[in-house]
Amino acid sequence: MASNKLMVGLEIGTSKICVVVGEGRPDGTIKILGVGQAPSRGVRKGEIVDFETAMKCVHEAVVDAEQKSDVMIRSVYVAVAGSHLQSFNNRGCVMLPEDRDEIDERDVEDVKINAREVSIPAQNAFLHSIIQHYHVEGQDGVLNPIGMLGQKVEADFHIIHGVRTRIQNSIRCVKELPLDVEDVVFGGLASAQVVLTQHQKDLGALVIDIGGGTTDYVLYSDGVVKQSGCLALGGDHITNDISMGLRIPMARAEKLKIEEGSCILGNSLPGEMILLKDESGFAGKEIEREMLNTIIHLRVREGLELLKRGLDEEPYLTYLGAGIFITGGCSLLNGIDHLAEEIFEIPAHLAHAQTTWGVTSAVEDPQFSTAIGLVRFAQVMQTDRPRRGFRETIGKLFRMR
Amino acid sequence: MIQLNKNYSLPDALADTVPVKVVSVGGAGLNALDRIVLDGLEKASVVAINTDVQSLTSSVAAHKVQLGRTRTRGLGTGGDPELGYEAAVESADEIREALTDTRMVFVCAGLGGGTGSGAAPYVAHLAREAGALVIAFVTLPFTFEGKRRATQAREALGRLNEIAHSVICFENDRMGDLVAPQAGIHHAFAMADTTISQSVRSVVNLIQRPGLIRIGFDDLLAALRVRHSRCLFGFGESDSDNRAHDALTQALKNPLMDRGRMLADATNVLVQVSGGAGMTLSEVEVLMQELGRHVNEQTQILFGAVVDGKLGDRLAVTIISSLAADEDLISESRDGATLSNVFAQPPVREQHPPPQIHIEPEAAMEPVAHEESISFEQPVAAQATPAAESLPGESEPLPVTPRKKAVPHTDEKAAAKSVPAKQEILQFEPVTRGRFEKSEPTIVEGEDLDVPTYLRKNIKVK
Repeated sequence: MASNKLMVGLEIGTSKICVVVGEGRPDGTIKILGVGQAPSRGVRKGEIVDFETAMKCVHEAVVDAEQKSDVMIRSVYVAVAGSHLQSFNNRGCVMLPEDRDEIDERDVEDVKINAREVSIPAQNAFLHSIIQHYHVEGQDGVLNPIGMLGQKVEADFHIIHGVRTRIQNSIRCVKELPLDVEDVVFGGLASAQVVLTQHQKDLGALVIDIGGGTTDYVLYSDGVVKQSGCLALGGDHITNDISMGLRIPMARAEKLKIEEGSCILGNSLPGEMILLKDESGFAGKEIEREMLNTIIHLRVREGLELLKRGLDEEPYLTYLGAGIFITGGCSLLNGIDHLAEEIFEIPAHLAHAQTTWGVTSAVEDPQFSTAIGLVRFAQVMQTDRPRRGFRETIGKLFRMR
Repeated sequence: MIQLNKNYSLPDALADTVPVKVVSVGGAGLNALDRIVLDGLEKASVVAINTDVQSLTSSVAAHKVQLGRTRTRGLGTGGDPELGYEAAVESADEIREALTDTRMVFVCAGLGGGTGSGAAPYVAHLAREAGALVIAFVTLPFTFEGKRRATQAREALGRLNEIAHSVICFENDRMGDLVAPQAGIHHAFAMADTTISQSVRSVVNLIQRPGLIRIGFDDLLAALRVRHSRCLFGFGESDSDNRAHDALTQALKNPLMDRGRMLADATNVLVQVSGGAGMTLSEVEVLMQELGRHVNEQTQILFGAVVDGKLGDRLAVTIISSLAADEDLISESRDGATLSNVFAQPPVREQHPPPQIHIEPEAAMEPVAHEESISFEQPVAAQATPAAESLPGESEPLPVTPRKKAVPHTDEKAAAKSVPAKQEILQFEPVTRGRFEKSEPTIVEGEDLDVPTYLRKNIKVK
């Protein structure tokens, strides 16, 4: 029974590793059975830099999840991120043979393959090719052409690709544990699955998932993915800035950011100070609140402006009916939605996973958006196709060139 | 003695004029342009470019271009060069249109603010793209305008140095030496405008005016060729009996020339002598001989002579030169000196030389000690002139302290308030990426995003 099957999402994040165990319900919702997490080490900017250490952390998180949810985890969906991920839109075209004018599955498969026949760098592999719309004989916006009549089928795809070896690093890390990898999914895409409802996707929405090491974004318009990408910029950068600017250790900077930080300027009293208590190895210190906020503000503003410049290359940003949805650990930063609203001039909301239920604390925490999104993604995949092994996944990475 | 006759060799006047455009960028540039237009400039067309609609409206320039219609919506940039640049990029097409059909473009801007620092290099760039020779006339802000503006100005100057064929840079601080101690602060700003105006017009005249011994653009470039150098400026004219001597003395006395001492190290000096029909060869000889004493033997003197009936009994000298900057603290500044004359309109001529002449006695007495601390203190406090509004926050510290100390003064206050002094020492590390030191750098749009934003934006957090 595919829909009641256990699905596990694993996100190897820069600051922590999240494992979410979920169960698909026949009504299409997901019940979260348990979550496991472990602080992440050996990961920088969404990519593994220390294989052994990262593997231990993943193991820790998986064990944690197994205990919490009381299940055995055998296979997982893995999220990937990193600056190497790129995306573009492409259109494929197929002509039907003269003696046939009804479009069937083969033609749709053909057009998908055709759309992928674009040159991406030799070392890159396709991660996703997401159908946007079909065009049949010049008729735009066809959602499903199977059964329609026509000689010419075209399909618009949004294609996400990345450096093959870097994607394989994540897979290998999980495979060594040993766990099976069901599929690899772009983290931002996974988050968007649970943060947005179908209605919001139709209206047009931008999901910004700001994590520890990367900022993933996915833009939906007309219900389909139009733009996506990954900036290697995240909460770690804010912490690093604070640590350097105020000259305090990273750990203190991280704590200060979470407890006191805000990216809104002018909200503090003039000369308002924050007292850092002394503890072993760290002499106490007073920090000016406005200074802390200035450092955070500059960094967050820069990141968002960079994002906006990237998105402005195509016109979709003006047609976002539903607005911006910010998720990921950094969305907990005080005032980030207001800043985003100011920069993009579009309403911005803080968002966490929707349409799921179960462990409430996990569902409502934006840090789990990606991992829960993976479960959702798994659910969708499994209703589409009954099962796909790891072998195929790996095979996909090679074949899809 | 040979009498130089007006009919002697004047070529057909406008037959071979080069199409020249004087383009001002930003508020300060606009003021200078207004000055230029009011002082009279027949041989070039002018274009005013600014983000601020208000100042554009009040400008006398015939051709105006508003930058960043949607970016700044007719307001200024608030001192943000990035905004200025973006606004210019937005209006690139309009700028290009304004710059068509011209062989030579003079870009005037006051560096330090948003539009001047941000847009001027881009305008220069567009002018170069259009195939014109580009000379930039820029001012550096007064020291009391703050370090931030100084930094922005220097960055913009660096960029202009790369883009323009030549940059003539005036330090506003030196301009102060031209103003009498009791004069209002608006005189200081007006003097900056006047100085730019004089140099722009003298260079235009230099190139456009058919001379007996003609100075061409190539000569001008030769005189200014030294890159990253500093630029001195002064001018003198006289109608006394001993006018050749007097004009030169007056020019060399100009503080921007440092009394001719700077000329000793210059490799190229461009000199143009102009006078009315009564100018004699011996006068020119006297003048050049005297000038010869101030310059090195190896120095190449590019000489030009012009007879212009409009000058009447006056004799005027224009000197342009540049000097490699070694002794100067500012890394990229230049010294060229233009000693120029106002040819066009007698009334104007009478207005400008007087302040200069009057100052000389005073300046000559105490310039060495006071060169930096100048004469502004009293006026700033005493008279709130319109010009004073453009100086952010100088009103308090100025009355008592010399200008140079005004900026550190506030800094110290802030520092004493919040920071233990010992922490300051750690600031020396120039560019650092902290925990990302060993990871793959995140470079987007040419910037290493791992370096803290506040460091890259040069915002002081302590």
